[in-house]
Amino acid sequence: MKTYFRELSVAAALVVVLLALAVFAPAFYQPQPLLSLLTREAPTLVVACGMALVIISRQIDISVGAQFSVCSVCAGLLAARGWPIYLVLPASAACGAFLGALNGALVAGLRLPSIVVTLATMVTLRQGLNLVRQGEFVNLPDGVQWLGLGQTAGQWLIVLTALGFLVAFGLGLRHLAAGRFVYAVGSDAEAARLAGLRPQLATFLVFVLLGALTGLAAMMNVAQSPQVQPLSGSGLELKVIAAVVVGGVAISGGRGNLWGAFAGLLLLACVAPALTHLHVEAYWEKAIQGAIILLAVVADGLRSRKGGHR
Amino acid sequence: MNTAKRDWKALLTRHEMLLLYVLIAEWLFFYFAGTTTNRRGVVVGFGTMDRQFDILRHSCEIGLLALALTPVIITAGIDLSVGSLLGLCAILFGQLWHDGGLPIPVAAGLTLALGALAGGLNATLITALRLPPLIVTLGTYSLFRGLAEAITRGSITYTGFPETFLFVGQERWLGLPTQAWIFFVVALAVWLLVHRTTFGRTFRTIGLAPEGARYAGLPVERRLALVYVLAGLIAAIAAIIYTARLGQAKADAGTGYELFAITAVVLGGTSIFGGTGSVHGTLLGVAAIAVLKNGLACLPVVMGMNAAEEMSGLLTGALLLLALTASVLPKILANFRSRPHAPAP
Amino acid sequence: MPITLRALPCMSSPLLALSQLTKSFGGARALRGVNFELQAGEVHALLGENGAGKSTLIKIVTGAHQPDGGTITVAGQIVAGLTPAAAHALGIACIYQQPALFPDLTVAENIALRLEPGSALRRVDWPARRTRAHDLLARIGASIAPTAEVRTLSMPEQQLVEIACALGAGARIVIMDEPTASLTHKEQHLLYAVVRDLRAHGVGVIYISHRLEEIFMLADRVTVLRDGQSVGTHPVDGLTETALIRLMVGREMTQIYPPAESVPGETLLTVRDVGCAASGVKHVSFDVRAGEIFGLGGLVGAGRTELARVLFGLTPADSGEITLAGRRLTLRSPQEAIAHGIAYVPEDRRRHGVVLDLPIAHNVTMALHRHLFPTSWLRFGAERSLALEFIRDLAVKCAGPAAPVGSLSGGNQQKVSLARWLATKPRLLILDEPTQGVDVGAKGEIHRIIRRLAREGLAVILISSDLPEVLGMSDRIGVMAGGTLTAILPGHSDAPTVMAAALGSTEKGAA
Repeated sequence: MKTYFRELSVAAALVVVLLALAVFAPAFYQPQPLLSLLTREAPTLVVACGMALVIISRQIDISVGAQFSVCSVCAGLLAARGWPIYLVLPASAACGAFLGALNGALVAGLRLPSIVVTLATMVTLRQGLNLVRQGEFVNLPDGVQWLGLGQTAGQWLIVLTALGFLVAFGLGLRHLAAGRFVYAVGSDAEAARLAGLRPQLATFLVFVLLGALTGLAAMMNVAQSPQVQPLSGSGLELKVIAAVVVGGVAISGGRGNLWGAFAGLLLLACVAPALTHLHVEAYWEKAIQGAIILLAVVADGLRSRKGGHR
Repeated sequence: MNTAKRDWKALLTRHEMLLLYVLIAEWLFFYFAGTTTNRRGVVVGFGTMDRQFDILRHSCEIGLLALALTPVIITAGIDLSVGSLLGLCAILFGQLWHDGGLPIPVAAGLTLALGALAGGLNATLITALRLPPLIVTLGTYSLFRGLAEAITRGSITYTGFPETFLFVGQERWLGLPTQAWIFFVVALAVWLLVHRTTFGRTFRTIGLAPEGARYAGLPVERRLALVYVLAGLIAAIAAIIYTARLGQAKADAGTGYELFAITAVVLGGTSIFGGTGSVHGTLLGVAAIAVLKNGLACLPVVMGMNAAEEMSGLLTGALLLLALTASVLPKILANFRSRPHAPAP
Repeated sequence: MPITLRALPCMSSPLLALSQLTKSFGGARALRGVNFELQAGEVHALLGENGAGKSTLIKIVTGAHQPDGGTITVAGQIVAGLTPAAAHALGIACIYQQPALFPDLTVAENIALRLEPGSALRRVDWPARRTRAHDLLARIGASIAPTAEVRTLSMPEQQLVEIACALGAGARIVIMDEPTASLTHKEQHLLYAVVRDLRAHGVGVIYISHRLEEIFMLADRVTVLRDGQSVGTHPVDGLTETALIRLMVGREMTQIYPPAESVPGETLLTVRDVGCAASGVKHVSFDVRAGEIFGLGGLVGAGRTELARVLFGLTPADSGEITLAGRRLTLRSPQEAIAHGIAYVPEDRRRHGVVLDLPIAHNVTMALHRHLFPTSWLRFGAERSLALEFIRDLAVKCAGPAAPVGSLSGGNQQKVSLARWLATKPRLLILDEPTQGVDVGAKGEIHRIIRRLAREGLAVILISSDLPEVLGMSDRIGVMAGGTLTAILPGHSDAPTVMAAALGSTEKGAA
């Protein structure tokens, strides 16, 4: 119980928000808008799975939004050329994995700080995409939206796939040796080296995995509309990092899990609809997200100071 | 050991000299490739004096943010929130003047104070709670921009500023764009702070050895706090200049500027790991980026593609990656060489 | 795979034999011919003063350092080019004073990460991990929950986890480096039981400790190291404490110390019953007079550096009184200590004493900003001439005041560190291991400088683990053990007396 205090407190906050919505804005609980909300958040959840790994291993990646855009456009272009969906999907993931590998090589190979590396790759990718595409939308052929299924079926498929990733990674982090290595590297890279693990390799792979997941998430987003927007990923990095940090994954590495990140994501996702339903202007969303990040960080800071850690 | 023996100062000078050569080469390239004569026989493009003043005018805001970040990065910290703070301060300034009915100088003064206060928020979280600057300023990056959007409800744009105020951003004074004078004054002040006072000394020492600084009795927390407050103050100055140049204050002012500022600082030879760096290096870095951005826009090829903005962004990102890689290469090589020598017992 | 006991080939050859091991670091010879032998089922104590070569020896056996000469034989087979991984495979485990564990992970997982082989994609068997951790911890009698996070454990508990790891790996040779240094009385006895248990299981234990009573209680044999040489291996039965102490310090003074010529003046510093719970300093009382060199002896970890940090305001005292020249002081930060004329030349020169990447001049004036640059404005001329003055005065060998300190030799770096504090014109100078890692020539120079400072009326507290240095330089000697001052001896005391006080020996007692 005590081990999961942080996750439980986020879950409790989420329950409070949901209850408040039930009382003050019961309209929130109509099934179709709720499913749409979940579908919109599904790609974010998949990226958050990868981001949690990166942050647990004591790194950060703020280029995921740009990676997401690049993968979306690539996937859209391939689909527009008539590639079948079952080939576009792995191609998008591969594209993401390649971009992740670029970050991973710079961070793990040259031991550069991940924040600056990914800041640079973020702008390079984003501007590169703008340069090539000039903000042009990609029109998708029929059969790509909702993967050729009906809207409701497609929405369910996307939501369930995302939840599948969550469960797979959540369990993998806990029950696979590889998952535990990520924690070990984030907790103390030097001790990991002494225990015979390879921290640099783990760091590299974690970035690759995040990239691949971002590619998949991009595909899940592409499948939600008849067109691909080149700006679809902007702001994603902040949303994902906020969710993960609010969910109790420590920015100093080695602590936290995906269940907390999931609760954090839902909490932040509820902010916008809650604002609308509670008649607060939606422009507050970003400020409130920022405040929630700071609050979570301050709480963690105070807690670790009391615990005397480091 | 050989690399360590090499004179520290000579190394720095060398980096900046190298950057200066690059800058000159860059400028000459654009001068010859980006200047054309139009049908009426008038010289247009990069080589004109107007364009040079334009470059100066447009680099003031990013230049100011780069000046703000130089001391921060010298202390081995980072501030991602300066671009957002620029947006917030621009909005606050507009609001104080437009809705608050305050005269421009008073509104500007209050904006500066609010900028310093916002920097103080970063400073408090970083020094009093000992939180990592990266995540703190990532949080305030979101918070400041979000507040700007909330205040303006995403749509309000403050315009209609008086001519006397727009003079600061759009006219020339003593032959130079007016804001350039402000930029020069701030640059001089920061240069003096970093290179000519004990404050700068302390920043450097904190960046190299925070524990060592504490053992030498230096006020580590106070100096760190100063650096972030100063960054907030300078971001507020940049916000006012930005508003004066465009004649309007909008919530998205300065979006993405932090990247250009960080690039300029790293390009200018300040180590991202702290300790070494110079303000004149940063100025050269700002100039290199500004010339690149404007020069590209003058190239016929790029003009044909109508993509100068994207191209310069792309090149800036790539440039930052290159500068970073170049900055760690000697360290990695030195590590390889020194590995056989075990430390003394 | 961990090597288990059945892998022992023949019982007649010793488990570990070191013969004529030598090792130098730069010019300093850390080991010059060490012979050592460990039998299976034996607890073999390794004893020696600080700097006698014990840590170097351990690092060679664990594969962290390569010896320059000599042979290592494990279970009858000569091993060349020992690496940490190879040492691990041979069943050699070392329990360091500072455990290398993962603070955010549970005890069970920490043990498992060391012991579990196999692919990264295998499934983690949590119940098995917990059971194994539970069994291993139970075997050493530790009451630590396998599910506890390591960062919530105390340092001794973390050591016990390390021991459990070594047990789990089926180690044949276990090295314990001062394992009881930070343990409570009860925990110590628990550890003794573990050591006896290991011995009963045929494990060879190399036991390093400064506590003589432990050695008499636990060890079968003892080998004494002195100046990088083994001076003899003796069965513990039949040895007396006095004999052991004589073996440890029995050398002639190799260094000629400058004669004491100062006449101590008024009492400058009075310390009464000072304690600091956070750093383990308790009930320390002593006086230092102007012009006096007060030596502070004791073993590593006795609390001398911690006391210095209290006097310099780095870890403020939470009890007792500190009086300087009649004024009672509350020292909450180094700035305050400096303002009162206290200076501290720290032990870790490279991390705390100087900033290697900065020029000599910057380092010299670093503690002097307020006085040399009262307006915060740097005065390069004044700085340069001050630096030059100290370079000349202390004979710092360098290219000039602009040379980075990292380009200097250890002795000259130490002089720069000293210069920084002399520049503040202190009344009380605390020197922490001022000649550590310094060559013989510079050592003599630093000694002469310390003498001269005392003659000029400075009160000096000299912390040193180099016993002859403390004896040769001090007017009086305070000896610390376990965070408190156990004895104050006259300057002309002999080495065994000081060593006995530092070891907390009862036989000889405090003079």
